[in-house]
Amino acid sequence: MNEGPVDDSELRILMTNYQHADAAALDELVRRLSPRLLRYFSAFRPIRHEAEDLLQECWMRVHRSRHTYRSSEPVMPWVYGIARHTSLDAYRKHRRLEAHEVRVDTLPEPAGQATSPFAPDQPRLDSLIAGLPESQREVIVMLKVMGMSLEEVARSTSATIGAVKQKAHRAYRTLRLAWNREDNAR
Amino acid sequence: MRGNRQEGEFELVLDRWASAVPKADVSAETRTRIRNALSASLVPVKPIPSVNGLALILFLVFAIVAGVLITIGDKADVHFLTGSQLLAIAAILVAGGVLFSIVLAWRMVPGSRRWFSTPAALLLWMIGVAGGFVLLFPWRSSIGFVAEGWPCARMELMIAIPSAALFWLIARQGALFRDAALGATVVGLACSLALLVVQFPCRFPNMPHLLVWHGLVAAALISLGALIGSLRHPREHDERD
Repeated sequence: MNEGPVDDSELRILMTNYQHADAAALDELVRRLSPRLLRYFSAFRPIRHEAEDLLQECWMRVHRSRHTYRSSEPVMPWVYGIARHTSLDAYRKHRRLEAHEVRVDTLPEPAGQATSPFAPDQPRLDSLIAGLPESQREVIVMLKVMGMSLEEVARSTSATIGAVKQKAHRAYRTLRLAWNREDNAR
Repeated sequence: MRGNRQEGEFELVLDRWASAVPKADVSAETRTRIRNALSASLVPVKPIPSVNGLALILFLVFAIVAGVLITIGDKADVHFLTGSQLLAIAAILVAGGVLFSIVLAWRMVPGSRRWFSTPAALLLWMIGVAGGFVLLFPWRSSIGFVAEGWPCARMELMIAIPSAALFWLIARQGALFRDAALGATVVGLACSLALLVVQFPCRFPNMPHLLVWHGLVAAALISLGALIGSLRHPREHDERD
């Protein structure tokens, strides 16, 4: 479901070294965190080059904000907190640009493989999840796709754990009702 | 029973969907591009103080600026307030200063653990200030309502705007992102300070005057702060290092 557990104690050491301008630590952080970040962005922006642009923009922001990381705190919520704002700003920009969109002859390359044979319901759920409010969608992506804990999601989204639980509950209910409604209509 | 089964089945559908979101490999070329972009400005940085330390710094600035302005300001009319009114309203506004210092410190550090949301803090502050004005001060109508109120509003603006700029400069030491709640928090802190200072020279300690010329002006400024905060700010484009 997710990239597997990340050893936070190692990441903390790498982040501290990165703050001390250690190029090897930067290399290692880019290597370890980029796939997770790209997967996170791909959940919102399925077009490969758009997700990669977000990844690059996110790293620029991480770099500018690296002095705000403290080694006593977990790394991933700090990184996802920055990634979330990168994604939100892109979403706002995308909404502004939507009015000026033009048709293209060929579709851009998706961020990953197309529909998995093990999840035939994926396109149907994709469209239901795309219809959720942005704040609920990001909670679902963080909890389900990225496999983050409630505490990590709360930290990353600048919210309380209670607010995250509430958003997740509302999102599940909305999705389940829409799912059942579609099932009954068939 | 059927509902629970449906919930369980749907949970499985959602898990299948999540596991099908493709793992995204980052090409060596992309990683190199990122590394090259960052290496050019890779210099040592000093970590900022902890969230508690930042909140303390913000509150100390709040207390020092308020203390200086109250000390050098006109206090000839402070006798219009009773001791309990002065103490209670000062306590509410200082509590507001503490509250907004904490919220702003959280906003400066991504991934901070939060115990309450920014809208909850704003609501609590507004209820506290409006409740204090309503419960502590008598109703009195006046024919010179506007003439009496304008000097207080002007003074509040003259204190709140530079204070907001000062708190914004301090907050820029953190990682700030475009956000309405950030603007509202910075201005909320500045308004707590301005209301505290303006209370001392105010000659009209009655509920309508305080609600409109002190409270409503602060609410309008906080709304403006939220609007400014939601706009793109230049920091998003500059390089820090």
